[in-house]
This record gives sequence, C-alpha cells and structure tokens, in this order.
Amino acid sequence: MNALPQVSAADIKGAAISIRHVGRSFASKTVLTDLKLEIEPGEFVAVVGQSGCGKSTLLRIIAGLDDAYTGKIVIESEGRDTASARIMYQEPRLLPWASVIDNVAMGLGPDITRQVALIRARKALDAVGLGDRGSEWPHVLSGGQKQRVALARALVSRPDVLVLDEPLGALDALTRIEMQQLLERVWLEEGFTALLVTHDVVEALTLADRVVLIEQGEIALDFKVPFPRPRKRSSVPFVTLEERLLAALLHTNHQPVDYVI
Amino acid sequence: MTDLAFDAIKPATGSNRTLWPTSLRFGLPNQKLLPWLLPITILTLWQLASSVGALPASILPSPTSVFFAAQRLILSGELQGHIATSFSRAATGLLIGGSIAFTLGLSNGLSRLSERLLDTTLQMIRNIPNLALIPLVILWFGIDETSKLFLVSLGVFFPIYINTFHGIRTVDSQLVEMARSYGFHGFQLFLRVIFPGALPSILVGLRYALGIMWLTLIVAESIAAQSGLGYMAMSAREFMQTDVVVLAILIYALLGKAADSTVRAIERWSLSWHPAYRKGGLQ
Ligand SMILES: Nc1ncnc2c1ncn2[C@@H]1O[C@H](COP(=O)(O)OP(=O)(O)OP(=O)(O)O)[C@@H](O)[C@H]1O
Ligand SMILES: [Mg+2]
Repeated sequence: MNALPQVSAADIKGAAISIRHVGRSFASKTVLTDLKLEIEPGEFVAVVGQSGCGKSTLLRIIAGLDDAYTGKIVIESEGRDTASARIMYQEPRLLPWASVIDNVAMGLGPDITRQVALIRARKALDAVGLGDRGSEWPHVLSGGQKQRVALARALVSRPDVLVLDEPLGALDALTRIEMQQLLERVWLEEGFTALLVTHDVVEALTLADRVVLIEQGEIALDFKVPFPRPRKRSSVPFVTLEERLLAALLHTNHQPVDYVI
Repeated sequence: MTDLAFDAIKPATGSNRTLWPTSLRFGLPNQKLLPWLLPITILTLWQLASSVGALPASILPSPTSVFFAAQRLILSGELQGHIATSFSRAATGLLIGGSIAFTLGLSNGLSRLSERLLDTTLQMIRNIPNLALIPLVILWFGIDETSKLFLVSLGVFFPIYINTFHGIRTVDSQLVEMARSYGFHGFQLFLRVIFPGALPSILVGLRYALGIMWLTLIVAESIAAQSGLGYMAMSAREFMQTDVVVLAILIYALLGKAADSTVRAIERWSLSWHPAYRKGGLQ
C-alpha cells in the first residue's frame, strides 16, 4: 500500500454540501423532517442510524436520484459552477455484459470518446489495484474486487462529492478493512467530499472526520472524530468513543468503562 | 455438524466423477459424436428390420430407399427447389413477423402507455391457435405466397413479442438507476443497459419462434401450396411414395436442428458474458 500523501488545504477540491430543512415523505409515512446539515468541502462524514431511519433516502436525495423532497440542497464547489455527486451502493451494480474496464468507463457518461474513456478508466482501475483485470468479465471477480471496480467507476470522473451507501456492508471482515484503507487513501488523494452511510460504528470512526446520527427524521447527534490518521482501532479513546456512539444508537445509557492497560 | 456435511457431500461428488466424464474424457471426438450415437443406432435397426422384411415398404421404406429417393430428387433438381422455396418462405415470414413482434415488444416494454393500448388486444389474438386461421387465410389470400407468409409471421410473432416484452420489463432496475445516475438516457441507456439485459430472453423467444416457424410452414404448405417441402410430402402421399414422405420428414428434422444450432451459436457469441453460455459452461 502506498504511503499516504500529505494534503494541504489548497489541494482540497471537494464541494460544500448545504442541506437546508430537507423533508421527504413516502405516501403517508414521513421519513425525513426538517433535516439540517452543513458539510465542508473535502470533509468525510459518516451517517449512522437505525435501519429504516432514512439514511439511504437522504443519500439518494443528495446524489440527485430523488427530487420529490421539500427544502433545499446546495452543492457548491469552489471555482466550478456545477458540482458533481456520485453514488456507490451496497451492491457493485456492474453491467455483467461489459468488461471491467468498460464498466469503469461508464462512470464518464455517454458523451466521451471511447479512446479517452479507456485511458482514464485504466488509470482509475490502477488506483484501486485492478489495472490488470480490465479485459475480464465482472462475474469472475470476487465481491471485494467488484466493489473496487464500482469505486473506480464512481471516481473516474473525479467527482466533487462521493456518497456511499453501505458500500462495504456485504464484504467479509478482512476485505472490509482493506477496502476501508483503500477508501481512505483515495479520499486523501482526490480530496472529494465523502458521505458514508454505515452500520458499522468502528468503520464510521475509522474513516470519518465527523459522525452524524439520524433519528426520527432529524440529526440527533453530530460530532467530530478527533483522532489523527491512520487511526488505531484499539486505542482507549477510540474504543471509548465507539462505546458512546453505540450507546447513542441503541439508546442504552452509556456506562463509563474502566480500562486497565 | 461439519462431519455430517462432509459425509453428505463426498459420495455425491465421488459418484459424479466416476459415472460420467471418465468415458467422455478419453478424447474430444468421442464427445462430439456422442449426440449422434442414438440416431445412428435407430437408423441401423431400421435398415435391418426393412432388409429382413419385418417392416413392409408401404408402411416405412428402408433407409436405403429413402436415400435413393433423395438421390433421384436431387439429380432432378426438385429437392433443392422445394427446400429453397420453403427456406425463403420461412426466412421471409420470420423477418416480417419477427420484426413487427420485436418492435411491439420493445414499445410495450419501454412505454406503459403503449402497453396499456396494445397488450390486451395482443393477448386476445394470442389465444387463437394460428393454424385455426388456415381456412380464413385461404379465403383471403388463396394459396399463393401471401397465405404462407401470413401464417408464418403470425406464428413467430408471439414467442418473440412476449419474450422481448418480458426481457425488457425484467431488466435489473438497479442497473438502470446506476446508468441513469451516470448520465445515460434514451437511446444510450437502451443500447448499453436495456437491450443487453433483455437479450437472453429475446433469444429464448427466437428459439421458440424458429420451432413454430417450421411447424406452421409445413402445415400451411401441406394444405395450401404448389411448391415447398410440405407440398412435396403431400403430393408424394397421393402417389404412395412413402420414401419421399419419409425423406421430407427427415429434412424437417434436419432443418429444425439447423435452426436451433444457429440460435445456440448466436447465444454463445452474443451472451459470452453470461456464465451459463460460456464455452464449456452449462449446455
Ligand atoms: N420508494 C419508497 N417507497 C416507500 N417507502 C420508502 C421508499 N424508500 C424508502 N422508504 C421508507 O423510508 C424509510 C427509510 O428508508 P431508507 O432506505 O432511507 O432507510 P435506511 O436508513 O437506509 O435503512 P437501512 O439502514 O436498513 O438501509 C423506510 O421506512 C422505508 O420503508
Ligand atoms: Mg439503506
């Protein structure tokens, strides 16, 4: 794995996301009510919350896949009129009839010449460590490799915002950790704003600058993760924070734990 | 627990290995000839039965007399003529019926409005057996080419229509959403996602259509035609030429097989991405 490059503020090119009083209802069921959230350019935000609380709904709205919401969302990138958001799902959603590299090239949209698309797709594949698998069919890849291809496809157009809806949820523990490291590395390299939905509290605390908890359609908790990167999952402050977040998620009263080292 | 599971699995894989492929693995040619083993055995028994007189020629002529009938008809050029006529009717009917069916399948698959407008009507027509229309078709078109083309087109229509429609409707909506989010719309979306997704189903429809195509054509030619394989068989019956009748039946079988193989080849080529269609995959 490459060494993590140093990122200065000038490198950050991600977009700021401003979610202002956003609401969304399905039929009679209100999922999001008056949700407010300001995300800074290049920030990595983890979204947690109980199943069915509306995390996916929020991501789909931010990614522009759902416009039946109330309120306003502004995505602004400095020096650019239009900011682009890309989404990555829990399933890789690769076209089974397109080669791996053609799948990645899809991320550049339909209006690009194939030649240019292939060159850029190759670079994106290299970045996720699958540069030599471009000519294969997706079905020969493992679950983790498919997710890497999906990541390459999401990033090939160098988006300002990447929203990730439990992208690692279906992977085994080991592959998951590898993918987390990969995600952190590309995020540091590319500087996009990342919004990650996850059920995994440790994952949220490992990757995110900031964690928000959605409950009853609103942000119930919003805090920064103060640890330097790369983070050690077994350090005492990390585990303490993990316990507190878990307690907030499960509504159990947090009992301070005494650690003996 | 684990032991039990192992015990359950082991004998099954073991017997699979010893039962089948060992005899096949001796060489590729063996495997290629295997499908022909049964037809050749039947042919041999048939010839034997005819030679010893157990099978009278008026019921079933011997393979050799069928062969001589074929030789006679080929030398006179009749057989090629009939085959060519039937083949061009089949192809034209398939092209006409198939392209209308494909277009309507696409249109109804892609547009709810089109579906609501047309699908009920089409489903009603589908329930009429197309051969039941023969008397009406003869009244309308006489016994010239149009009647055969009409029946073949109608016959191939439904398998292709239904499978195209179904194929388009069952394209993975997650893939469609993904492609849309990357800016694919309209024709681009169709070309890259919807059509390839529907193709396996469309080809299944084509395969059914080819079967119905021959069936319809032969029946139509037997009743209302003055050329073609169906006509050849029917007129041979009038002259008690059982050898020609059997020859015609054998040719149907070969043409049917050829049509099926063609679609399989198309499947293997166009669905090479599909695990089930890869070479050496499921057959
Ligand atoms: N298209 C839809 N039609 C009707 N209800 C919907 C629709 N999409 C989501 N919902 C409802 O909105 C609520 C929130 O769904 P959402 O998928 O956003 O939850 P989530 O937080 O992502 O849950 P999970 O963690 O299980 O993925 C759920 O109760 C769900 O049933
Ligand atoms: Mg969800």
